[in-house]
Amino acid sequence: MIRVFRCEDTLTGILTGVYDAWDSRLGHQNVRLSSVAVEDLELFCEYTDVEPDVEKAGKVFRTVKRRMGEEAALMIAYASACPHDGKADAIYRMIVIGLHLPDGREICHMLTRPEVNLIFELRKKAWHIAHRYMGFVRFRELENGVLFSEIEAEADILAMIAPHFADRMPGENWALLDRNRQKAAVHPAGKNWFILEDVDEAKLSLPGLSREESYFQELWRRFHRAVGIRERENKALQQAFLPLKFRNVMTEFQEMSTPLKR
Amino acid sequence: MGYRIGQEMDLMQKLEILADAAKYDVACTSSGVDRKNTGSGTGNCMAAGICHSFSSDGRCISLLKILFTNECIFDCRYCINRRSNDVPRASFTPQEVCDLTMGFYRRNYIEGLFLSSGIFQSPDVTMDLLYQTLYKLRREYNFQGYIHVKAIPGADPEIVERTGYLADRMSVNLELPTAEGLRVLAPQKQRSRMLAPIRQVQMRRQENRQELTLYRHAPKFVPAGQSTQMIIGASGESDFQILKVAEHMYRKYEMKRVFYSAFVRVNDDSLLPALPGGPPLLREHRLYQADWLLRYYGFHTEELLSEERPDFNVLLDPKCDWALRHLEYFPVEVMKADYQTLLRVPGIGVRSAQRIVKTRRLGTLDYGVLKKIGVVLKRAVFFITCGGRQMYPVRLEEDYILRNLLDGKEKLPAGTAPACMQLSLFDDPRFSV
Repeated sequence: MIRVFRCEDTLTGILTGVYDAWDSRLGHQNVRLSSVAVEDLELFCEYTDVEPDVEKAGKVFRTVKRRMGEEAALMIAYASACPHDGKADAIYRMIVIGLHLPDGREICHMLTRPEVNLIFELRKKAWHIAHRYMGFVRFRELENGVLFSEIEAEADILAMIAPHFADRMPGENWALLDRNRQKAAVHPAGKNWFILEDVDEAKLSLPGLSREESYFQELWRRFHRAVGIRERENKALQQAFLPLKFRNVMTEFQEMSTPLKR
Repeated sequence: MGYRIGQEMDLMQKLEILADAAKYDVACTSSGVDRKNTGSGTGNCMAAGICHSFSSDGRCISLLKILFTNECIFDCRYCINRRSNDVPRASFTPQEVCDLTMGFYRRNYIEGLFLSSGIFQSPDVTMDLLYQTLYKLRREYNFQGYIHVKAIPGADPEIVERTGYLADRMSVNLELPTAEGLRVLAPQKQRSRMLAPIRQVQMRRQENRQELTLYRHAPKFVPAGQSTQMIIGASGESDFQILKVAEHMYRKYEMKRVFYSAFVRVNDDSLLPALPGGPPLLREHRLYQADWLLRYYGFHTEELLSEERPDFNVLLDPKCDWALRHLEYFPVEVMKADYQTLLRVPGIGVRSAQRIVKTRRLGTLDYGVLKKIGVVLKRAVFFITCGGRQMYPVRLEEDYILRNLLDGKEKLPAGTAPACMQLSLFDDPRFSV
């Protein structure tokens, strides 16, 4: 009989699952972790739901950091942001292997193990998505001077890109809304940023655009058009680097919405 | 913020003209500096650089790439802004450049500023205008993002030095690979005058490194290094000559990057070559591939090309081409070979070689793992063994490998790839073109 621990699809949820699964003392081969919301039930399995618990998750994360190093902790944190059915179990297995190694820090290089390889891949993927959004986010200035932007990210990368923007613009009020997750990162000028959960975009009443905003958007569109060389045109290459899924939040691919005024 | 409208032109028009005029400059990288915000201004830099958009030609846009002015006194034959061309002319003011940069940067459109310029009145005047713009941006607006600025050849070294303390990267374009080409196509430019500021920045950077070891907070001089650019296919140089020049720039002038720009015929001039097939994009691509081999793979120009074979193979990338001519080094045993040897295997790059070296200490590699690690097996399979075994039996023969490599490999531009054709006894892909 295999015991399946069903945990929430967040870093806290998964690490709590790791804690509970290990704590159940059923033996590593008899437990499995799953972070899939709706799963086909299997025969010969018992299911236990795991309540996310910050304290338990914190214990696991600190142990990982101490015994397996910063690098491994980062790998796990990033990988948990990616959508993947097998990630929770892979994180569990990776921690099991890591804590049994004489030097846990070597785990990051054990790419011959499929679990570690998966986490490595997911970490890379999450970072790529985050890195792309660092470039592709387009803020617009609202009447009250707040910079606002939406993203539609595949992975939960809000917490990875927020520090970048917080460092870049410490004196600005800005907010980033993840449409796919109803979460927002908010940064009040001169203060620390934080994450708001359960933000309903439909109920959000945003002020209108600032006076200069549409002018700058048009400047940017014109610049974007002017900088391409006609003799070298290569839309396929452009799309390889900048897939269509990113474009519906990017200014230069939207038509002018309001009449131009300065 | 109010905009000063120019006497006859508004900012929108100016931006269009001066972005259009700057688009033939290739360098749009924002990499090489890692700098946190000081806590008071706007901006930071990331060592990896960030691409903010991609233009319709597939090139990355990470900087606001503009000329300060296109009112140029020079008459270079390949250049759209040459004096004798009838194109709309415009000039920014330092204030306008600052407004644009800050406005774009806050909205996360760009990673910083790329400021080049035509020669306005004299090199000194132009360089001073660039300096004033940078000074305003850095000091008044406290802008801490990336700035790439051109050093104007012939300008007062003192202004160049002052500008270098405000910029992250400086560059002087060599324009044409050889001095003869320059003499014909850009008579007002001289190779020696171009190299002077490059040498100056290099020397100053070396001194600056000394200062920084002594005083951690000493002002940094051109922290992201220098780059340069050459036009490919405007004059009759061979790939061998071009790559020699590039290697020279890397070794002797500590360049961070040499860019290659396929010549686009924007002016009708009898001295310029006609390009019925469009810009020589494949040649540019091969040069970039070879450039990477020089910088990261430990290759030398002489290994890739020679006086007898001065141009790259159109059908094969330079590394495969090299490997096929040096089959005596292969097969390489992946579990044992050292890093430098791994790097020379087609299909194994810097990242995958590093991962192989780290991973094999902790476990045995097999072909499945190699694939996951990032090795391109369809190329590497002919040149490696793993645990003493080939993936499947392949012959280590030039003809056999060549035939298989050319089978459904990278997409070549139309016209270069041989489509269906009648076979003949003397067919050999190596003898083409």
